[in-house]
Amino acid sequence: MASTLRLYLTCIRNTLEAAMCLQNFPCQEVERHNKPEVELKTSPELLLNPVLICRNEAEKCLIETSINSLRISLKVKQADELENILAKKFLRFLSMRAEAFQVLRRKPVQGYDISFLITNYHCEELQKQKLIDFIVQFMEDIDKEISELKMSVSTRGRLVATEFLKQF
Amino acid sequence: MASFERASPALKEILLRIYNAEKPIEVDHHLYEFGSVEYHIKSSVSEPQVTYLSISTPFLSQGVFLSYGLSPFTLKMVRQISTDVLHIVEPANDGYQLTLRLDFSKLPHNKESLKIITEVSSVQAVILSSQLKEMLQNVNSWDSSQGMHKPIKLIYHPKEPFYVIRQPQKIVAVFPMRFKDNSDVIIATSFFQELMDVVSLKKWAKVPPCNWSPIPPLELRGEPFEDLSTNGGFVSFDISSHHVEGKRLDKTVWSLLNFYAYVKHHVKCTRGFIQRRMRRRLDNLVKVLENSRVEDGQIKKVQGWKKMRKMVGSKSKMIKRRWGDLGKKIKRIRFRIKIHGFARFRRRWLTMPSFSSSTGYTKLQTNGNNN
Repeated sequence: MASTLRLYLTCIRNTLEAAMCLQNFPCQEVERHNKPEVELKTSPELLLNPVLICRNEAEKCLIETSINSLRISLKVKQADELENILAKKFLRFLSMRAEAFQVLRRKPVQGYDISFLITNYHCEELQKQKLIDFIVQFMEDIDKEISELKMSVSTRGRLVATEFLKQF
Repeated sequence: MASFERASPALKEILLRIYNAEKPIEVDHHLYEFGSVEYHIKSSVSEPQVTYLSISTPFLSQGVFLSYGLSPFTLKMVRQISTDVLHIVEPANDGYQLTLRLDFSKLPHNKESLKIITEVSSVQAVILSSQLKEMLQNVNSWDSSQGMHKPIKLIYHPKEPFYVIRQPQKIVAVFPMRFKDNSDVIIATSFFQELMDVVSLKKWAKVPPCNWSPIPPLELRGEPFEDLSTNGGFVSFDISSHHVEGKRLDKTVWSLLNFYAYVKHHVKCTRGFIQRRMRRRLDNLVKVLENSRVEDGQIKKVQGWKKMRKMVGSKSKMIKRRWGDLGKKIKRIRFRIKIHGFARFRRRWLTMPSFSSSTGYTKLQTNGNNN
């Protein structure tokens, strides 16, 4: 792993560890309702300052925290057109299967490629440390997958081109 | 007409069924392929050894020299499939460009028969490639009569025309590439770049040089705008004389005719490959998240601790309640009957003891206060 990526991921891990102390908190506006405050933002006193962690202009992570929920939005590196369509395809594929992940948001926050929403209920069901591990691994895997896919598409293209030229 | 196989699989199957039938069978099949190619296969019981095959296929080019139907060169190529078995019926049946009379009695009873039937099934490919071959051979004289190297538009598929341009020492085939989806364009562009890289290697010096450009080449100037508006750019192959000599002509022609189909097949397969990889990665990620789930054993342990706490809490509450009841009784007694000295007795013996919790803390007095 590149040292810059390791630093970036470590920073995100540490921030998540600090931010992920969620508790049950009923809605202050509507009786018997319990909603993620980070989404509704009805009461400013329940929100913490959002943290933006940037590796570079193209890669960044926004962590928004509230009393009962946490929202993590990621922007993935897209160096060229091929990486761009691969990232779009892959993240759309994952977003469409958000129910498999529980914590994945179906629609990313504007300006980002993919978003997670973690509530206090998720923290009760899932182990906090492993949930953070999952987020970090997800980020690593996305990067790795896009790079590998790009390599594979180029390699396949080269092989197919060779096969085509063999016909002459 | 996106098929890499020259022989039509459906036509081959029908012809083999007629050939292998123990008893003569009556066949009258109309077969359509790729929306524009039509076959009519007719075999009757009265004449069991003979089968009539009619074919209608769009012309590759709407050029002047093909306006009268199949050229003698094409008919010659068709006859070369098998001179014994295959005879061209003239005139062809109505609505068809070519009618063939197949005499299966003259087919040899060995593996050769399968080979000949396969070749008969590839008659449409023979017609199309012979048209292109003829063009490549005659294009020089045709162009010189007009005094310029005009591009010849070939329509192998209605929406996918390509151009052949004769130049002094080479023939240039230009393919305007169009794709429906933006992601297809990018995958195809990546393929074209790889194709150019591979062609530039010394190992592939004998193959036609290939070039990809997002803008139309100069040779296509003056062609209709709709033909030149593409999203995938233009791929051109420079075919020299040695690429169309002898047996290589057939290979070159077939490769050019199938270039579109080849690229589209590659794009489709690549999309499938990407989808498979994404699915696999999704499974791995879901497994990671599943591992972070709180296990059953841990939940039980927590529940047990909660129960114990609950029990302890209820006992202390019970004691408190009892003391409270006793206190109330005493108060009631106190208000009604006054006993001298009972107040001191009550303060000493009947006051509620204070229960200090295990989690509580005792404030330590500082030395300054003591002083």
